[in-house]
Amino acid sequence: MAKILIVDDSRTSRKILRGLLEESGHEVVGEAENGQEGVDKYKEFNPDITTLDITMPVMDGLEALTKIKEYDKNAKVIMVTAAGQQNKMVEAIKNGASEFVTKPFEKENILKIIDKM
Amino acid sequence: MISRLFGAYLLKEGKLTKDQLEIVYETMRKVRVKLGLIAVSEKLMTIEQSDEVNRLQAIVDKRFGDIAVEKGYLTDEQVSRLLGLQGNQYLSFVQSIVDNDFMEIGDIEKALSDYQNENGFTLTDIESLKSGDSDRIIPLFLPQNITEYQIQHILICIRTLIRLIDSEIYVGKGYVTDFYDANYFALQSLDGDNKATLAFSGEGKSILSIADKFAGEKFDNVNEDSLDSVAEFINCVNGLFATNVNSSFMIDMLPPEYSTAKASFSGKLLVLPVYVQGEKIDLISSFGDIINK
Repeated sequence: MAKILIVDDSRTSRKILRGLLEESGHEVVGEAENGQEGVDKYKEFNPDITTLDITMPVMDGLEALTKIKEYDKNAKVIMVTAAGQQNKMVEAIKNGASEFVTKPFEKENILKIIDKM
Repeated sequence: MISRLFGAYLLKEGKLTKDQLEIVYETMRKVRVKLGLIAVSEKLMTIEQSDEVNRLQAIVDKRFGDIAVEKGYLTDEQVSRLLGLQGNQYLSFVQSIVDNDFMEIGDIEKALSDYQNENGFTLTDIESLKSGDSDRIIPLFLPQNITEYQIQHILICIRTLIRLIDSEIYVGKGYVTDFYDANYFALQSLDGDNKATLAFSGEGKSILSIADKFAGEKFDNVNEDSLDSVAEFINCVNGLFATNVNSSFMIDMLPPEYSTAKASFSGKLLVLPVYVQGEKIDLISSFGDIINK
């Protein structure tokens, strides 16, 4: 079971994601509500997997991804976003994101991705 | 949607009481079978395939039948046959009223004619209403002078409300205004080649009808948690819109916003009253520029 950090400005999304991850036996080690906080918490918790929302205030997910990968080039990051942000998804994959998922969350899809990682 | 629109008219005109209308809707609910269930019972799809299509409906802006055809589970002809088996909502509404002895068929037809005249609908409009197709119904309630993309944006929002929040929503007459005073709001703006904003506001606790369903929990008040849920719903709508128009222009989605405080919106605003689980909520849309607060 993986130790997971959730980075998303929406508390609804964090709560839904935490619920379905914990229900499946994963441990959510921390939550952050913007990219900067996400980078800080990554350094604090060293999670196995980080879920990173793309559209966030203060620091967006793409910038946070770059900073996390600078700190730990082996970091496993799943980018999260609503549909319709293909350009940003492509950019994120180029910058080292391992996978991406689309909101609203589809439990089986997320768990399949996490298992694969 | 026609059963809700025409039902509200019959209630207003005193043709049906609130209790009678609720019985009519309850009767309809009992006999209305989902398309997936009919497909499974007709042995055209497996339960697993039906479940898969239901899950996909949450993340793509398509109907059950369209997805099933794309996945190769059904043909267009089979979808048409299944829709025929599912039945027309208007006819089901009329039958339920008559079967419960609340009105006679002639009186219903007369009331429909009065409803048509009162709203200035043509016979073609009435046919659109009877079709049950939200893409044909919603434009009847929108003002004339709005762009095709704004109509698309609103239609995607309505379809997503129907899929994720309430299959029985209906709308009031939309209007254009320069100002809108919001008691509270949740919104998301889109930047890029064509700026736009989609917002929800309402009175009292009406907006909780979206918040509760989307978050899957019961909120007691309009607060940051419940508005965040509505903002995330809007985020999903805008994502689907961005996907649909991606080939035409570039869209950059800005972070969703919400506030429990009163705010004044300005700009060229389209306001469409939407009734979600019977609660009136205003859907506010701007296109060409984002809403000023």
